[in-house]
Amino acid sequence: MNLRYMVKELYYQRRRAMIAAFGLSIGIALLIILNALSIAYRQAAQIPLKEIGANITVQRAGDVPQELSGAVFPCSAVTLRNDELEKIGSLPGIKGMGKGLLLWVFDPDRAWIVLGIESENTIGPAVLKYSVTEGRFLEDGKTEALVEVAYARQFGIKVGDTIPISGRGFPVVGLVDASRATKIAVANVYLPLKEAGALAVASKQLQSVSPYAAGDVNLLFIKADQDQIGSLSSAMKKILGEKAAVATPDSFLKLLGSLFALSDKFTLAASFIAIIVAILIAFKTMAGNIAERAKEIGILKAVGWTNRNVVFQLIGESVVQCFLAGILGLLIAIIVSYGLSFMNVSIPIPWEMSPTPHFLPGGGDQIFKTLQLPVTVPWSLAVFAVLLSVIIGGVTGGLLGRHIARIKPSEVLRHD
Amino acid sequence: MINSAILSGVDLRKSYGSLEVLKGVSFAVDKGEFACLVGKSGCGKTTLLSLLSGLEKPTEGKVSLDGKEITDSSEDELALYRRENVGFIFQSFNLIPTLSAWENVALPLFPMKISQEQQRQRAMEMLGKMELDHRTEHLPSALSGGEKQRVAIARALVNRPKIIFADEPTGNLDSTTGEAIMSILHRLNDEDGVAILMVTHEAELAKTADRLIRMKDGEIVA
Repeated sequence: MNLRYMVKELYYQRRRAMIAAFGLSIGIALLIILNALSIAYRQAAQIPLKEIGANITVQRAGDVPQELSGAVFPCSAVTLRNDELEKIGSLPGIKGMGKGLLLWVFDPDRAWIVLGIESENTIGPAVLKYSVTEGRFLEDGKTEALVEVAYARQFGIKVGDTIPISGRGFPVVGLVDASRATKIAVANVYLPLKEAGALAVASKQLQSVSPYAAGDVNLLFIKADQDQIGSLSSAMKKILGEKAAVATPDSFLKLLGSLFALSDKFTLAASFIAIIVAILIAFKTMAGNIAERAKEIGILKAVGWTNRNVVFQLIGESVVQCFLAGILGLLIAIIVSYGLSFMNVSIPIPWEMSPTPHFLPGGGDQIFKTLQLPVTVPWSLAVFAVLLSVIIGGVTGGLLGRHIARIKPSEVLRHD
Repeated sequence: MINSAILSGVDLRKSYGSLEVLKGVSFAVDKGEFACLVGKSGCGKTTLLSLLSGLEKPTEGKVSLDGKEITDSSEDELALYRRENVGFIFQSFNLIPTLSAWENVALPLFPMKISQEQQRQRAMEMLGKMELDHRTEHLPSALSGGEKQRVAIARALVNRPKIIFADEPTGNLDSTTGEAIMSILHRLNDEDGVAILMVTHEAELAKTADRLIRMKDGEIVA
């Protein structure tokens, strides 16, 4: 392959080369954008759970309490027994677990959504410690409460007050802005898990619907190996029975409803079609360009170039052309992805993960986690796309080169 | 005469389907000879030139260059044979439009394992011989017809061929330029001893050759 000849050919025939490269670059750009969107949706679907340091949440649906008085479980989150938790904890692929106890407390003068949390656990609602707006976060072993800032404002609760929940007094040690942190496991009042457990144990209403013992919980936050989430989800459903509700990034992805979110197969098929169309366009344009050069090829062969010399020269030109197409496609994709990254996506939070009783004002409203779609072009995707362009260039150049190299110089030079 | 032949064709026949273009032509060019093939359009001159230069294979017959038969050579072997032994000059110059004058001259050397500097040096040397030192970096589109043909002659000479095939080399040139080109070919033939086989239909040019071969209807008639 003669580099000087190749560079001059591409430079002086740049319009022809650009047209061929442009077709492929559009295909490459589409391939990158489709995959970047798919990755972005997958990342977005992880965010609601990631916000509480987990990638799986587990609850179990149960019966509706007959009477709404004192502490009760929401019907979407009844007892997960301690022995079941141990079985789940021993499943392979689980890196850590956080526990929560969600209660609806109906006192004569007020209803509370109470969430018992492990204040020192990095997995679960304890991430709220970074959203304390006043006072301090909960400390283990103490009888105290943290109040959601909007709720505190509505009912005039201040740090230092003592709030009565189900007949027990809890000093308020801090206010927390949960809306800044998470859409899952949001409550009006946060108590240490043990204290919330004591409220549950003491509630006859609760015990009559779903027997509860100290150490049981009704919310589980799990951090697991990304690759094993699917198999863990099935295993946990086996342990907890049919009524288990296991939320994973995949279940959020399905709620997103986008074609990109719905199926990897769609992205794969669309990418495949985009690239095939691009290859066909590039192939057709290059075939036309090479056919126009039949006389030139005839001259090369007449002056002593072998078929191999001709094929390698054309492969070189095609590879460079397609490499440039890949770079152009990458640039287009980066610009489009940047534009798409300003797009907002609203992830619906399943009703069973919404702590507000549906019969209270606003309780029936669908909750969304709204965020900017994190569309970026990963290095691996960029490298793959450019490499693919180069391979397409090599194959296209090789096939077309082999075809045109068979030309007989006497045939093209005879009719000058 | 046969012993001193640089190129010979024996009983050459060429058919395209049912059309027989060459009908058993035997022909030889001696070392250092300037031979000229003349005849009317369509009489088979260019076909004979193509067979002798290895651009095409005969339907029947044998072609030998410097005693070595090339008739059964593969396509790539023929390409190498042309690269090492043969130079071409065409009526329409056949220069590569994207390459400069010196790069066009160096074209046969591009696939060879010699440095670019050596390729350039040899091309410059040939262009010097053609008195084109001042046009080495110009593209063909910036050259006159005579200059283009001189570049083509330089390209034909760059691989130091044993024989040059010239197919109507003055066909696209005015008479003055044509005469200049002919004088260059004669000089190469006289001074460098390169054998030349030229196809032309111009009787005046043909007369300047050492030998005149007339063709008619696919046969040599005189």
